[in-house]
Amino acid sequence: MFVKYKPKRNLLETILHTEILQGMALTLRRLFSRPITRQYPDEEIPVALGFRGQHALVRDPETGGSLCVACMRCATVCPSRCIHIRYHEDDGKRVVDSYDIEALRCVYCGYCEEVCPVNALVLTEIFEYAAYSRQPFHFDRDGLLANWDRFCRERNISPQEYVNPFWRPRGLPENRLPAGKRLQVPEDWTMEGQVVGSRYREALPNDGTR
Amino acid sequence: MHVLVLLIQILVLFAVVMLHVAYATYFERKIIGHMQVRMGPMRVGWHGLLQPIADGIKSFFKEDVVPEQADRPIFLAAPVICLVAMLTSLAVLPFAPGWVLADINIGLIFILAMSSLSSYGVILAGWASNSKYTFLGGLRSMAQVISYEIAMGLSLVGVMMLSGTLNLSEIVQAQGTSFTGMYVFPQIIAFFVFCVAMLAETNRVPFDLPEAETELVSGYATEYSGMRYAMFFMAEYIGMMVMSAIGTICFLGGWNGPFTVPGVPFFWFVLKIYVFLFVFIWIRATLPRYRYDQLMELGWKLLIPLALANIALTGIVKAVIG
Amino acid sequence: MLMLLFFCYCAVVITGTGLLAVTLKNPVHSVLMVLILFFHVAMLYLSLGAEFLAAVQIIVYAGAILVLYLFVLFLVSLRDEVKMPRFVSSAWLGRLIAGGMVACLLYILPVFTTGAKGDWPAQRVQAITPTRALATEMYSASVLPFEIAGLILLVAVIGGLLLARREKDVHGDVK
Repeated sequence: MFVKYKPKRNLLETILHTEILQGMALTLRRLFSRPITRQYPDEEIPVALGFRGQHALVRDPETGGSLCVACMRCATVCPSRCIHIRYHEDDGKRVVDSYDIEALRCVYCGYCEEVCPVNALVLTEIFEYAAYSRQPFHFDRDGLLANWDRFCRERNISPQEYVNPFWRPRGLPENRLPAGKRLQVPEDWTMEGQVVGSRYREALPNDGTR
Repeated sequence: MHVLVLLIQILVLFAVVMLHVAYATYFERKIIGHMQVRMGPMRVGWHGLLQPIADGIKSFFKEDVVPEQADRPIFLAAPVICLVAMLTSLAVLPFAPGWVLADINIGLIFILAMSSLSSYGVILAGWASNSKYTFLGGLRSMAQVISYEIAMGLSLVGVMMLSGTLNLSEIVQAQGTSFTGMYVFPQIIAFFVFCVAMLAETNRVPFDLPEAETELVSGYATEYSGMRYAMFFMAEYIGMMVMSAIGTICFLGGWNGPFTVPGVPFFWFVLKIYVFLFVFIWIRATLPRYRYDQLMELGWKLLIPLALANIALTGIVKAVIG
Repeated sequence: MLMLLFFCYCAVVITGTGLLAVTLKNPVHSVLMVLILFFHVAMLYLSLGAEFLAAVQIIVYAGAILVLYLFVLFLVSLRDEVKMPRFVSSAWLGRLIAGGMVACLLYILPVFTTGAKGDWPAQRVQAITPTRALATEMYSASVLPFEIAGLILLVAVIGGLLLARREKDVHGDVK
């Protein structure tokens, strides 16, 4: 392929270096334009909906514990295998013994919060949790519940009402969602507005079933 | 007594120039930042105003690392050579009528001599570090400085012919106080050649091949650290100021301006230097780096013939008119 | 008195650096010694009031020619040069020759006398600055030798170009 990267110039343009002058004019104009820099610690950075930050287990307002039913879907789907769950069966019902997440191995793909049938595990919008050692990044169940409390406190969120539309599995129609996922989402949110998974939804048959 | 006064003058000049160097780095970062729609330094002091002082303290207290395989005495001396050569050329600059440390008759070629000496610092730094990157940077600087020094010297010959002197104060006086007396009008070709050669002599963008960050890490200064690294940068910024001063004196009428500012005889001189420095920074924010063969081609095939033609033209015009 | 001391200092440094330049093992160090030597020669010129000559000494010799020397030193493989066989095999024979030459030079030294005064005594040169004096002399009285020297240099430049030029064959490719 022939790329013509040097346009023809007439003699006057060659002598006067008009292209250089054009470039100089551009930079001079930019000198007086408003910088787009956000002064981070001083200025709040708006966090977009669907931001995947620190992990948390949603605190059940009734029991005070987690909503987790130990279905093991999150631990199975996790590509980096950073979720470790132990449970025992008590009268046919699973009881969670421990729930650990190694945040340093996590790739923040968000699959775990999508597959969770009861919206127990979420990735919050908190991103300021740096530490000086590795230990603080090994979240156990209490740590994850504390993360949820911190999230509710810092973002002024009522735990009963908050639901993030990005917690829904991608591309699934409403009627196929598990019960825990059918929570009321904000009214301004539409399935069409969810960019992720839109290709998959287009490929679905028109009646919304597979 | 005279020596004492001279010493105080030298100290004052040194302090003022060093302050200018520090804040030239600040304004360079600020201006380039805003030209790239960023903000530049903001954290140290109000709008980052104390940043250069913080940088200075930091580089002063940093460890001075000398590579094991380096040629130690030359490695240690190279930045000092650079800085001293540049500082020495400050002595002959006339800032205002009578405001000059050494009013010597060969001021112009003295500065050319000093700027050619400062290239020794760069070359020796490149060689003594005993590293590939620094060596390549040193070699590039050597070839570049030799080539563009010819163009620069020849471009100033026209000014020497018009003014009939090498004394910088007399060159300013020869241009008179009127706007049209400035040598930039009769010597427009020389001014163009001088501006390009000035950029190349000070190793600035678009001719910053000796320290091309993207290819040579930091060129000749790669192995340097702490205060010695800072010395190279001081030398570069003082070089920019000296070259701006030469441009101001030889082409823009030195300290003369549209009106005299009472109490500040050097006002116009300093203002013109600031304009030059701004253009230096402006060009850095705009232009990409030249390729090495393009650099040599520009120097030898365009600038030197242009400067020679300008000398011939000036000679002919002067013979016909005067 | 001060001028004499200054001259002695310059003479000692020039001789010392000259000796070091030929005896030092590292050729780059030798070139640096020559650089210091050139500087002191320029200082001698300055002490004689020939400021233009001093500046040209630094620009041309220190700034250009010596840099080219350095360039060549950097690009030539130095390790091969060191292993060359000695020119004169016996060290004592070499020392004898050198000593003889020194004796000859010292013998000739008293012959030097100051010549007749020229048209340009120091006062006249200082009156119109050395630069102007040099120009006046060079471009009026000595214009023919100046042109001849220029022509010889031009021949040298053309010769250099011819040596460096590579022949192109009919297809325009460099051989």
